[in-house]
Parts: sequence; structure tokens; C-alpha cells
Amino acid sequence: MAQANAVLAIQGVTKRFPGIVANGDVSFDVLEGEIHAIVGENGAGKSTLVKIVTGLYQPDEGRILFRGRPALFRNPRQAILAGIGIVHQHFMLVSNFTVTENVILGAEPPRRGLIDPKDAATKVRDLSAQYGVKLDPDRRIEDLSVGEQQRVEILKVLYRGAGLIILDEPTAVLVPQETEELFEHLRTLKRQGKTIVFISHKLDEVLRISDRITVLRRGRVVGTVKAADVTRPKLAEMMVGRPVLFDLKRNEAPPGEDRLVVEGLKASTGRRSILADLSFRVRAGEIYGIAGVEGNGQTELAEAIMGLRRVGGGRIHLAGEDITNHPAALVRKRGAAYIPEDRHQRGLVLPMTVWENAVLGAHRLPEFRRGFRLQFPGIYRFVEEGVVKFDVRLTSIQAKAETLSGGNQQKLILVREFRGDPKFIVASQPTRGLDIGATEFVRQQLLNARDQGAAVLLISADLEEIIAVADRIGVIYNGHIQAEFSQDEAEPKTLGLYMTGAKQGSEGGRRAS
Amino acid sequence: MNAQLPRSKAAKRLALLEKFSPVLAVLVAMAVASIALIIIGKNPLVVYGTMFYFAFGRMDSIANILYKATPLIFAGIACAVGFRVGLFNIGVEGQYLIGVLCAASVGFAVKGLPVYIHLPLAILAGAAGGALWALVPIWLKLKRGVHEVITTIMLNHTAFLFVQYLVAGPLMDKTGGMGPGGVDLRVRTPALLPTARMPDLHGALGKIGIDFPAGSVNWFLILALLAAVGLWYLLWKTPFGLELRAVGHNPKAAETAGIRSNTVIFRTFLLSGAVAGLAGLSDLLGYFGYLDIDFPRNFGFTGIAVALVGRNSAVGIVLASVLFGFLSRGGMGIQIIERVPMETYYILQGLIILCIVMASEVIRRYARAQQKKEEASPNA
Repeated sequence: MAQANAVLAIQGVTKRFPGIVANGDVSFDVLEGEIHAIVGENGAGKSTLVKIVTGLYQPDEGRILFRGRPALFRNPRQAILAGIGIVHQHFMLVSNFTVTENVILGAEPPRRGLIDPKDAATKVRDLSAQYGVKLDPDRRIEDLSVGEQQRVEILKVLYRGAGLIILDEPTAVLVPQETEELFEHLRTLKRQGKTIVFISHKLDEVLRISDRITVLRRGRVVGTVKAADVTRPKLAEMMVGRPVLFDLKRNEAPPGEDRLVVEGLKASTGRRSILADLSFRVRAGEIYGIAGVEGNGQTELAEAIMGLRRVGGGRIHLAGEDITNHPAALVRKRGAAYIPEDRHQRGLVLPMTVWENAVLGAHRLPEFRRGFRLQFPGIYRFVEEGVVKFDVRLTSIQAKAETLSGGNQQKLILVREFRGDPKFIVASQPTRGLDIGATEFVRQQLLNARDQGAAVLLISADLEEIIAVADRIGVIYNGHIQAEFSQDEAEPKTLGLYMTGAKQGSEGGRRAS
Repeated sequence: MNAQLPRSKAAKRLALLEKFSPVLAVLVAMAVASIALIIIGKNPLVVYGTMFYFAFGRMDSIANILYKATPLIFAGIACAVGFRVGLFNIGVEGQYLIGVLCAASVGFAVKGLPVYIHLPLAILAGAAGGALWALVPIWLKLKRGVHEVITTIMLNHTAFLFVQYLVAGPLMDKTGGMGPGGVDLRVRTPALLPTARMPDLHGALGKIGIDFPAGSVNWFLILALLAAVGLWYLLWKTPFGLELRAVGHNPKAAETAGIRSNTVIFRTFLLSGAVAGLAGLSDLLGYFGYLDIDFPRNFGFTGIAVALVGRNSAVGIVLASVLFGFLSRGGMGIQIIERVPMETYYILQGLIILCIVMASEVIRRYARAQQKKEEASPNA
């Protein structure tokens, strides 16, 4: 039975897809005026549940009560009309429209079939004032920061009169300052009587902002707890199903000589500059982390180093040799390995088998080849061992890579890239989309490689990851390293200031754009 | 968490369905063609029966099917190699004509060599001619980004007209001594020397009790089968085959893993052209012994269909080539015996290609939809 003050009561909701139960008998209540977090790993069923609540999917079993009445929406529009609003992780805004235009789009106030722009702007302004959301209604979306764009999404939902607001991974795209501001807004909304469902896998944030937390694991509810009653390790254990170590094993050893030296790198597409006079160096036995909001040149930097993108200026030296604009095959020959951010496009050839992916690029080495023939015993031995060493779960090394889960695909890439103890590793978003167990594993592997003397360049949008793993950190903004920090002096808030360009470079104070 | 992923029954069924979709498609095509037959007042069962009986009822007819299949195996392999690396080599047509031209030139112009040098030399000349004709489009593609479909189509016309010009002009045999009576002036090259001719299989097969008539199947059939084995070996057993397939599936990932995609593409395309250059040699060196203005055409285009029907696999290409050989032979049969117009054969051939393309696309989409359904669920 639903509690009396439940705004949303989810009762025995089950949703099956071929071969998997995405939601199994999910039941919990969201109470009036609370901030209710739903946490779970990737694949735990959070998204499916949201899609059911907002009418994108229909449940196979169970029902949903909204304000005490059965509410099975057949499409998202019905959910909006009923007063359930959702803020998606990826914004759905028209970038060359103004804030006002975006807010009223699809819910224009009719006045003899015409829109009164002044009236609309006033309404939007009133709304932002009421909820304390700072926004200029006349600015265009393309001129707003990511945090501001998210506020537009929230305004959109409020404009449509939502009483229940669902935010799907809202902090994934935000820097620490923006996250703080978002939380401020959420608290204001709560004070004004709105109910908020907050979906996340970042436990610290969840504990900070929410009143109650529902934990999902493999499609089922593990429990609903008060935020005040749990600790972070306890919550992680509920999520994963076993105790989780948050401390990575790291040996403190002084780093060696400069392994990778990047000097004054420049690159552009068309007229747009992507890398602007970018310089840094990574030493042997050191992990250098690049922190930054995505789209500030990280992808291009990794590709430029690996010989997958031509640079217009500057030099890249690996172990003393100039590798600027060398093809990938040559860069690899010098001892570089690469974990690309896009597993599907760059990392793996999905329709090919596990073993083929595992030796790709190394298949012409003497241990894998004899004359014109692949040496299958040698290949299979290497792959079988690698699969065990890196804990890749699969039915057979003859299975196609596309049949593996995301975490296992990533581990398969590790099997390939860690072969032969690389001197230098570029790891680009190496734990994106992985569950806690796999994340932990991948980070430990990077640390191990470092301990064995490899230089590691870690590029990640996850600030927590950078701070936990890297020895030194460079903050990238508009294709330029704004500032560098050692691990012990790195503070999320300080990094955040440089990440948004609010604070400018310590290295000679160069202009950012 | 990622539990072990045993292949579901549905996935296995899907794979099986995919494998046998060409067979299914052929049956559907025959059913649809029946409509055409009924419209012209023929009983489809009788027509198909005659087709089979005529094609397989006699030894010389079977030999004819294999003879017709021989060039198609080469052409199919040439196309398949291109498809495997992600390129559409429509130029097999032109490449084999140039191959024939080169082989013929070596055959009649180079004199005084023993057969074990002259014949291989002529075959090599054919392969070299095909590769040469493939060089231009692939060079333009890699250096200038010109799409290979455009250039190869253009070069098909160029090759055809070039060969016509040479055969009717500079290379024409003006001695006139070839036909009976010595006055016959056909538009053709001089006759190839006997040392450049490919012996037929009449003798060799006769020893093991197979009575194929003389002047039909020649040793190029064996070469074609060896080429098919070679294709299989190349694709699945060699480093280059691994690279070729990786580039074909995902050039970006291959490049990232340290493979030089452009080099692989370049070499593969030349290989495709070289194999294409062999497609016309069975007719040239094994049958006609000269290159004339009516030399058989369209092997290249049929080769595309063969590769498609055979799903770019060695076994599939051989089977598809025999299928097309059978259709053409059986088509002759129903024309003579049942008085069904030859066009019906073209209808059937066209329908088979259409059905196979559709079947593979339908199954591909179905598989993708199934996959999406499974992927949609674990998203969180």
C-alpha cells in the first residue's frame, strides 16, 4: 500500500526485455516535498524505470500511482500534462533560440493563435524569480554555459506546471561549482513544495542532497533508506552487493625521466582552433591527469599524440624521439598504447571475435605469425591468458566482441593495450559507463602500469577519478593547459574554476581563447 | 554486473537463418518467377523440371555448367575481396577485358617459349592487366577521395572501347588466313600460339571415369577452385586477411590499433583487380584462342551478383557461380524444349539477386532490432 503522503507510488513494476529483467517487482514511494534519490550502477534499471514513469515504456506488470490515482501514461506528453517533468542528461534545447523561446516551445501561450513575445518573456522572468533561478530570458542557448542550459531545462519543466521533477544524472555534465548551484536550486524548489527525484550514481552527491535514497541492483530494489542513516561505504555495498574498496593501492615512488613531452601543440578544424599552444610533460612512473569539461580538446589531444590526427604546429616527443604527425602504427612501435574513449568506434571492431580484437595491431609480431600464416597456438595462448588476467567474462574467445558487455569490452581493450608492457599509455575516459567493480579494476591496472615505470596520460571528465588516480593534474580549457597541480594540492573547487575558464592560467597567464 | 553471456537460442536461430537466407531467397525467387510463367501460359513445375533435367541429365551439359561457372568464380572472388575491405569494385568488367587483352597479346606476340613458361606468362599478363586497370581508381580514391564506383564504371566503358579499338585496328589479324577457305576476315587478333593455350580437362577427367567432352571445361576450373581456397586462406589464416577484414568492418578502429588502413585498402584493391584479370582467360586461353570483337561480356557484373549471393565467402562464391551456370544452361533448355523465351531466364536471375539482397537486408534489420531490444534494457 502507498503511504498517505506519497506523490508517486511505484508498485510491483516489472519490465522484461528479451533475455533480461530490466525492472523486477520494483516498489517504493516518493513522498510529497522530498528529494528522493535513485542510485544504482549502469544496468541496474534506473533509466528503464524513468522511462516507465514518464510513459516512454509500458510496464509488463505492476502499476504506478500518481497522487493516489493509477497513472499509466501512454506517452511522455500525458506525463507532462499530469504534472511530471523530466530533465534529461542530454539537453533538448534549440541552440539558436532564446531562453524564453525554448521554455515556451511546445507549450506556447495562445493568444488568437499568436505568441506575444513580451508576455512570454515576462512569464519566464517571473518564473525564474519565483524559484530563484538566475537566467536572462533573452539570451540565446548557444551563449549559455552548460549549467545555465540545465537551468533552462528546469524552467521548461516548471513552466509546464510540474509538481514532480525527475532529474536524470544531472551532475554528469557539471563542474563542482555548477553542481553546488544546482543543489541550491533544488533546495529552493523543495522549499516551494516541489517533489524531486534525483537519479545518480555519484554517492557523495546523493548523500548530500537527498532526503531518502532507493538503491537498485540488477533491476530490483535493494532498499529505500534515509540519507541521514547511511554512510557512503554502506550505500556502495548495497549498490554493488559486496563491500567496495575506495582506496586504490598506490606505491609512492619518485617519477623518472620525461617520457612524453608535448610542446606548443596547435590543431584546428576549419577555422576553429581546437588545440591552442598546448604544452605538458609526463614522466616515467607517473600518471598525468587531464581534467576539463568535455569538448575542450581532450579527444583531439589524445588523437594527436597517437598519430590519428594531424597537428598544425608544436612538437610531440616520446622517449626522446619526435613522433609529431607520425602514423599510429609508428607511434605504437615506439611503445605507446591507447585506450580510446569511444569503445565502439575506435576501440574495437565489434563484428570480429575476441581473439581477433585482442591481437589486432600486434598480429604481425613473430610470436603471432610465421611467414604468411597466423600462429594460432601462440595467439590463442596469449588471448586466453590475457582474458584471465584482465578478468574478461565471455563464453569463448571465438565470440564476437559485440556480444560482450561494456565493462568486458573495456577489459578486452586492456588485454590488447597492456601487451608487452607499454612505455606510455593514453587512457581516454577509461571508466566511462563501467560499473564500480570494473572501474576499480581499470584504475588499479593504470596504477600498476605506472608502478612498473610506464608513463600514463589519463584524460577523464570525472574529476573524482582524476584526483584519485593522477599524480599531477593539468586543467584543459579551450585546448590549452590552464594550470597544473600536484595530487595533494588539487581541490575540486579550484580545478572547477580553471575548468570553466573563470580563472586563467598560472603558466604565464596566457589568454584562454 | 556482467554475468556470463551464453548465446541465447534466439541468437543461434538467427545465425542459422542468416546462413541459409540465400537458399530461402532462391526458393522465393522461383515462386515469384512462377507467376511470370503462369502468365505466359506455362506450367511452372514442368518448366522447372525441364530446366533441371536438361541441365543435369547429360554429362556434356554438366560440363557446360562448370565451364560457365569458371569465369564467374574469378569475378565473384574479385568482387568479394573488394566488398570485404569495404570497397565496391564495379570495375571487374573492365579489369577482365584488359586482362584478356594483355594475355592475348602475350599469347600471340611472344614467340619461341616452351608451354610451361608461355602459358604462365600469359596468365600473369592477364592478372597484371587487371591490377593495372584497378590502379587508377584506387589511386584516385586514396589521393583525391574520388569514389571508386564512379571511376570504375567509367573505366569499364574505357576498357571496352579501348579493346574494341585495338582488336579492330592495330591488333587486328589482317592475314585473313584464319577462317576456312582463307578468305574469312573476322575482327579479331591473330591466333594465340599453342604454347599459350590452356589444355582442357577431357583427358585428365577421362582417366578417373568422368566423360566431359573435349573443348569444354579446362584447367582454369581447377585454378578457379584453387583461387577460392586461396580466398578462404587469405581471409582467415593470414595476417593480411585479418587486417583486410578489420579495415572492412571498421577502418577507424583498425587505424587506432596500428593498422595502416590506406595501405591495406590499396593492396586489396590491386588484388581484386588481379583476380578480375583472370576471369576472361578460361574463354580466351581455354576455348577461343583469339580475342575477337564479340568476346564474352558481363562476367564482371554477374560477379557482383555472385559475390552477393555467395555472401563473400569462398564456398558461397563457388556455389553461386554454379547456380548461375545452371540457370544459364537450364534457361537454354527451357527455351529449346518448352519454348519459354530467354527473357524468362533473365527474369529469374534478376529475381534471385533481388530476393537475396532483400532477404539479407530484412534479416539484418531484424537482427539489429532484436539486438536493440536487448541493449535497451540494461541502460541505466
